[in-house]
Amino acid sequence: MAMKTNRKPLYRRKAFLIILILFAGFLCIQFMRPDVPNPPVTGDLEAPADVKAVIQRACYDCHSNNTNLRWYDKIVPIYWGVASHIKQGRADLNFSEWNRLAPADQKGKLWESVNQIIAGAMPLPGYTAVHTGAKVSAADLAVLKNYLASMVHSKPADTAVINAADRQYQHWQKNKTAISKLPTAANGISYIPDYKNWQPISTTERFDNNTLRVIFGNDIAVKAIKENKIHPWPNGAIFAKVAWAQLQDKDGTTHTGEFKQVEYMIKDDKKYASTFGWGWARFKTPKMVPYGGANVMFTTECTNCHKPMAAEDFVFTQPIKH
Amino acid sequence: MKALYSLFAVCSLMFAACSDNKPVELYNTKAALPSSPKYNLDGLKVITSFVNKTKGTASTLYGNDQALKSAIDGNKTVGTNEVFTLVTWKQQDDDHWFGAKIPSDIESVEVIKTTSSGNSVAVNYQQLNGKSLDLKADTSGQSERIKYILGQKPSVLP
Repeated sequence: MAMKTNRKPLYRRKAFLIILILFAGFLCIQFMRPDVPNPPVTGDLEAPADVKAVIQRACYDCHSNNTNLRWYDKIVPIYWGVASHIKQGRADLNFSEWNRLAPADQKGKLWESVNQIIAGAMPLPGYTAVHTGAKVSAADLAVLKNYLASMVHSKPADTAVINAADRQYQHWQKNKTAISKLPTAANGISYIPDYKNWQPISTTERFDNNTLRVIFGNDIAVKAIKENKIHPWPNGAIFAKVAWAQLQDKDGTTHTGEFKQVEYMIKDDKKYASTFGWGWARFKTPKMVPYGGANVMFTTECTNCHKPMAAEDFVFTQPIKH
Repeated sequence: MKALYSLFAVCSLMFAACSDNKPVELYNTKAALPSSPKYNLDGLKVITSFVNKTKGTASTLYGNDQALKSAIDGNKTVGTNEVFTLVTWKQQDDDHWFGAKIPSDIESVEVIKTTSSGNSVAVNYQQLNGKSLDLKADTSGQSERIKYILGQKPSVLP
């Protein structure tokens, strides 16, 4: 009896008051809502119905202007995360503004997207844990892969392509492409002319974008490969990945045609800590025009694409030992 | 204390289970080039790289400085002390990128060396086959291969 009379009424108990305050706070923050508008669709992705169905279901909540928010997405603070994902997602890839991309870039984005799905990086695991319907099944993936495979065409180069490659070759052969002042990307990384004297660590035939590639490694990288010290790669290791257009002759041999670009990855876990420990740069055409112009945010493209390779220190290339 | 240790062990096992269980293949072990006194790529530079989609092969042509210079000049004349090495691999799908093919098992290593022989230049050709680099004894077809390799246009490397 004495115990009972000593107990305070519910509304005067400390624990209750704390819960009440927290709940009031929870209610208040519900009004702190970032705006997630659905802007007009300027030109939607065009693809066969089955392909589009998969993409819409798995990607459109964050990568289109047709975001479908469920009630549980709208609860703050979850909603804050959702809103920022959508903002970032649309900035990186927006299927509702597909027409703003050049056809080659559209193709590139599709291949990259499917590779992100294969790697398990997309749709974000945290998102599919709640939105189970957005999961991409093996059958869905097969639909996407078949669609991409159907876009690959391999045929001998036409005269225009051959002539363009020839012109560029003659220019280079006569040493007219020599660059006096090293171009520098917005993140401060300059073109490194010596890459061509490095050792190749692998080559790639990219049938997704019709290029051939050679990946060169500097001395530090090559030494690390020999000594099995590439996990992680040592500071100072540099890769140069060169891409040429494919030039297929009538015998079925595909040669390197026009030089497209050279891309660098420079390892320095302190200097480049904010970009996975690597410095990134791409220089296009023999004039070595820095990719991204004055906008340092171009590195987001590099890191987004390499992110699924975190377990391999963000490196796609599997070096060939010799 | 014992209980604490076993709890710790169980926890670390659980963490290991939760972490990415995809095996990390750092190297392309299939395409590894066997070390052998029969050829030497040290100090050689890339002249060009090409693929044959019908045969499913990928090749890289290496050369020493003299060979690279001659190749850029179109190999109009064959100089002395030139070393060309053409490595050909089978191709495999790239596990890291749907849309790419990378080298697989080694198919052959072809080595051309030029030496001075009196007033002329002697061109020596050797074909080493497979991972065991077996020297091809049959010399027929050598001149075609020499012509083919010396006929490769270098890749534009600005």
